[in-house]
Amino acid sequence: MINWLDERLHVRELTASLFEHPVSKRSNVLDYLGFATFYVFCSQAVTGILLATVYRPTASGAYDSIKQLQGEPVGAFVRSLHSWGANFMVVLLVLHLLRVFYEGAYKKPRELTWLLGSVLLIATLGLAFTGYLLPWDQEGYWATTVGTAMPSHIPWIGDYLVRLLRDGTQVTGATLTRFYSVHMLILPALLLLAFLPHFFFVLRQGMASGDELAKAQKRGKCVDGDSLPFWPDVAVRMILFVLLIGAALWLLAALYPKSLGAPADPLNKSQYVPEPAWYFFGVYQLLKYFPGKLDVLAMVVLPFAGGILLFALPWLDRNPARSVRKRPLALSLAGVLVAGMVFLTYQGMNSVPKALASAGVVVHPGFKENVEPIFQSKCITCHGTSGGYGLDNYTAVMKKNVVPGNPDQSKLIRKLEGSDKPQMPIGQPPLTSDQIQTIRNWIKDGAKNN
Amino acid sequence: MEEIKRPAGVGKVFSRRRFLQVGVSGAGTVLGLSYIGLGLDFLQPPPLGAEPLQTVGKTADFPENMPKPVTYSGQGVKEGVYVVNLGQGNWLALDFHCTHLQCAVNWVAAVGKFMCPCHGGVYDIRGQVLSGPPPKALPRRVIKIIGDSVQVGGILA
Repeated sequence: MINWLDERLHVRELTASLFEHPVSKRSNVLDYLGFATFYVFCSQAVTGILLATVYRPTASGAYDSIKQLQGEPVGAFVRSLHSWGANFMVVLLVLHLLRVFYEGAYKKPRELTWLLGSVLLIATLGLAFTGYLLPWDQEGYWATTVGTAMPSHIPWIGDYLVRLLRDGTQVTGATLTRFYSVHMLILPALLLLAFLPHFFFVLRQGMASGDELAKAQKRGKCVDGDSLPFWPDVAVRMILFVLLIGAALWLLAALYPKSLGAPADPLNKSQYVPEPAWYFFGVYQLLKYFPGKLDVLAMVVLPFAGGILLFALPWLDRNPARSVRKRPLALSLAGVLVAGMVFLTYQGMNSVPKALASAGVVVHPGFKENVEPIFQSKCITCHGTSGGYGLDNYTAVMKKNVVPGNPDQSKLIRKLEGSDKPQMPIGQPPLTSDQIQTIRNWIKDGAKNN
Repeated sequence: MEEIKRPAGVGKVFSRRRFLQVGVSGAGTVLGLSYIGLGLDFLQPPPLGAEPLQTVGKTADFPENMPKPVTYSGQGVKEGVYVVNLGQGNWLALDFHCTHLQCAVNWVAAVGKFMCPCHGGVYDIRGQVLSGPPPKALPRRVIKIIGDSVQVGGILA
C-alpha cells in the first residue's frame, strides 16, 4: 500500500519530514497543548454536525428542537459534549498561548505562526459567543442581548455595529439566523483557513524547543543524547495526552450534563438578570469597576488595546532573548495581566447571585449562610459597590439602617416590609415573608457577622 | 548594420504580455470585489424605523402619565415597548431595554420612574437618564395616533 502510494505521490518523503526528526528532551507535555486543542476542535466539528442534523434555526423552532434532543439520552450527551468541548477549547487554547509566550516561541522566525494563532483565538471566542444564542433559552438570549450591545459604546459607528451584529435593532429571529450561519459556516471556515498555515509553519520550522538541537546538528554535532526521536517516542506521548484529554471531556460531559434553561422570553417577564459564559466573566466584572461614562474604557478601549497587543506582540516585543531570565519585563507584565484576568474572572463568578439556600424561616440565621444570599440575589444589583447604602458585605450593611437586637427599629426591615415607602426592592416583587422573617431573626439575634 | 531581432511585443509601450497581466488581474479583482459586495449587501441590517406600524391599543387604554407596557411582534419575538401618554396629544413609545446593558426596565408607579433591576439605572417618564450607569436615554420608537388607535413602529435613530 505504502509502496503503491509512494510510487505515485512520493509519500515517503512527506512522512519522513513529518515523523523522522529529533525532539529536544527539554520538550514536555505542555508542548502538546496545541495538538490537544486541535483534537477538541475535531470533536466540536463532529458533535456540531450531529447537532445540526436535528436543530431548527428559527426563533419558533430552535428551543423546541433542543428540548426534544434533551429528551433522548444520546442526544443530550452529544449536546453536553459540544458544550463542554467549547469550555475545553477555550481553556486549552489559552494555556497553549501562555506556554508559547513563556517559551518566547512567538519571536523571529515564528511571528506569522503567532499571528495566525491570534486569529484562531478570536475565531474560537467568536464561536463560543455565537453558539451561546442558538438554544434560544433565557441564558443565551440575554447574554447575546448584552454582548451585542457592547459595541454601542464605540463613538459614531457604535449603533450601526449593534444593528449589523443583530441584523436589526433587537435580538430577533433574524439575529438567530445570522448567528447560526456565522457559527456553522463563517467561523469554522476562518478557523480552518488560519489553522492550515499555522500547522504548516510548525511542521516547516519545528518547535521552538528544538532550535538549539537544529543548530547543534548544523554544526555537525551528534544530538542523540539530548533528544528523542519524534516517532515513536514523542508521537506516542502526544497521542496519550490527547486520549487523556478526550477521556476527561467525555467524563465531565457525562457527569455534569449541560442543562437547558427556560425558553427565551424577550419581554423578560421573569426579571431574568443576564450573565455571560464564564470565560467572559473577567470582562463582565471589569465593567462594574468603570462607572457611567467610563464604560467606554472597559468596553472599547481595553478590548481594542488587548487585541492590538495580542496581534502585534512579536513586533512590540523587540527583545530577541527567549530564555526566561532575560525577559523580566515581558514576563512580569504578562504575569500581572494573567493574574488580573484570573482575579476578575473569580470575582465575577463569585458575584453571581447565589441560589437561596433553603425555603422557610431560619430561626437563628447566620449572616453568611442565610442573610447574605438574600441580599446577593435581590438587593446588590442596586445596593452594590456603586455608592449609597451597600448590601454587598457585612461592614456596609451595618453602616446604618440596622439596629442590632431591634428589627422594628431597623429601617432595613421597614423598607422591605413597605411601612417605609417606597418598598424595596423597588420595581420588583417584594421579598417573601419567610425571607423577611429570616432577616428579622438575624437582627433580633444581634445582627452578628456569623 | 544587422538589425537586432526582438521577440514580438518587447519594447512596445503596452506589450501583449503586459496587457494580459493587467487584464487578468483586473478582471480577477473585479470578480473578487463583486463577491465582497454581495456579502456586504447581505449583511446590511434593515434601515432604522422601517418596521411596519402595528396597532397596540386604543387611546383610552393609556391614561395620562401612566406608561403602559405593550408588545410589538418583531421577527419571531415579542418586543417590549412602553407607550407613554403625556397628555395634550403628546405621545411617546419607548423601547424597554436599558441602554446600559440591555436589561428590561420597569415602570415603578410609586416613584414615577423607570428603573432597571440590573445595575440600578433610573429614567424619567420621557426615558431621560436620571441616575445610574446608563449612557443615554431609552430609545424611542415610531408612534402614531390614527383616530383612536395607537400604532407603534420601529426604533428611531
